[in-house]
Amino acid sequence: MTDSGLPTSEHLEHLDTDTIADLIENLLPAPEAHRAREHVKACPDCQQTYDALVQLTEDLADEGRADIPMPTDIAEHLDAVIVSESVLRSSTVGVHSLVQLREEPRRHLPKLVLAAAGVIVIAAVGVGVVVSTADHSNEGAAGINPTLPAGEVPSMTTDQVGPNAQKWLENSNGPVLHGSSDEIQCARVFAAGRPGSELRLVQPAKVDGKRATVIGLPGGSPQDIQLSVVTGCSGSGGVATPFYDTTVTLRNR
Amino acid sequence: MTSDITRIGAGGPPADGLGARPAGYETMDDHELLRLHVAGNPDTFGILVKRHRDRMWAVAIRTLGEPEEAADALQEAFISAFRRADSFRGDAKVTTWLHRIVVNACLDRIRRRQVRAADPLPEDEDRAAELAGPAKDDPAEVRERRLDVLNALKQINSDQRSALVLVDMEGYSIEEAAAILGCAPGTVKSRCARGRARLLPLLRHWQTTRGGSDVPAKTAAESVGTE
Repeated sequence: MTDSGLPTSEHLEHLDTDTIADLIENLLPAPEAHRAREHVKACPDCQQTYDALVQLTEDLADEGRADIPMPTDIAEHLDAVIVSESVLRSSTVGVHSLVQLREEPRRHLPKLVLAAAGVIVIAAVGVGVVVSTADHSNEGAAGINPTLPAGEVPSMTTDQVGPNAQKWLENSNGPVLHGSSDEIQCARVFAAGRPGSELRLVQPAKVDGKRATVIGLPGGSPQDIQLSVVTGCSGSGGVATPFYDTTVTLRNR
Repeated sequence: MTSDITRIGAGGPPADGLGARPAGYETMDDHELLRLHVAGNPDTFGILVKRHRDRMWAVAIRTLGEPEEAADALQEAFISAFRRADSFRGDAKVTTWLHRIVVNACLDRIRRRQVRAADPLPEDEDRAAELAGPAKDDPAEVRERRLDVLNALKQINSDQRSALVLVDMEGYSIEEAAAILGCAPGTVKSRCARGRARLLPLLRHWQTTRGGSDVPAKTAAESVGTE
């Protein structure tokens, strides 16, 4: 501890702050706790540290009761995401409740996929993001065929990576592995160091203007896909450097 | 330390019926909004989100420290809540359920971050002032204090921070926090104790400005006088 009010290495007779904090939480073994208590009673400096730690706990509780206003841009984005979810659900003709959706997911799947593609556009508008039309010429008709030809390198912002990947994966029965063999190999090496190393998605993309690779790996549950956006995989023998990650939940797994 | 987390349960005025127009939703309580959402209403979940987002943002930003991470975690949490709303048990508070989903989403992100420890989080200093909220909303000293805590929390390790946020700031009991964090109660106590010891020098000026050390809550002699 270097704070002038606290015990320091120059004052070895004082208890250090960790010991006093442990004393307050009853974490010290009995003999040590006894010695520490006796010391605190007799030492004004250590008593002050003790009091300050007790006070800190109360101050943190006070502070914890206060909300923190969510920044406006984040709140707007969140609203748009929730609207997207609602649109996705309500576009599913004949399905009005989560219970129905959960019980009959297969029956409603094709409609969900179509709705999902439409939702991307709504979400993008909602947050003021302009989808790049040049690289999304196929995706513009995504309501009909939300898959990408193997050779395409779509452009998107980081915010759009999750919805796009969700769409690609939900429209496929298995892993989606696009890109050159070098790029896929680079993704495999990246995946080997992760908890779930089985590749679910490799998709070359331009993300925020950078040539990148979107890599999908199994997430915490069977429906979840952990997405990483990496640079460095587009060339031969490259090494992946992640710069964005997110998780998506697939409805049809 | 208390297990009382009623402060997250803002709730709302009593429900005013199923056929309410959108404007009427604002007056419904959380349970009713969630029930209508599960039944297929497209608007009520959004109202729940608006109602509780500042509370949930506080939890996420304190736990994760970085606005981008906190925003992603909250988005995951709210989508998860949206989709799994039918698993909500009506005997609990909606806010308690929502709070737990947010906490778990934040902890998931911390665990993923720890798996790739060589991938440090970017500093986002430009947003520091924004984290304290819009200037018009709160007095300067409230914002300053809020920023002090957020900055201090960022400087301690994530295990200690998670335990302190859950126990000291969000009011979970040691046992509840241990269940959420998946570790022993003793580990939670230890992380809290060491976290407080780390935070103390970072926040000590609070107490000097408040004259806290002149009016201690209780003395060591009073608190630890018995063995």
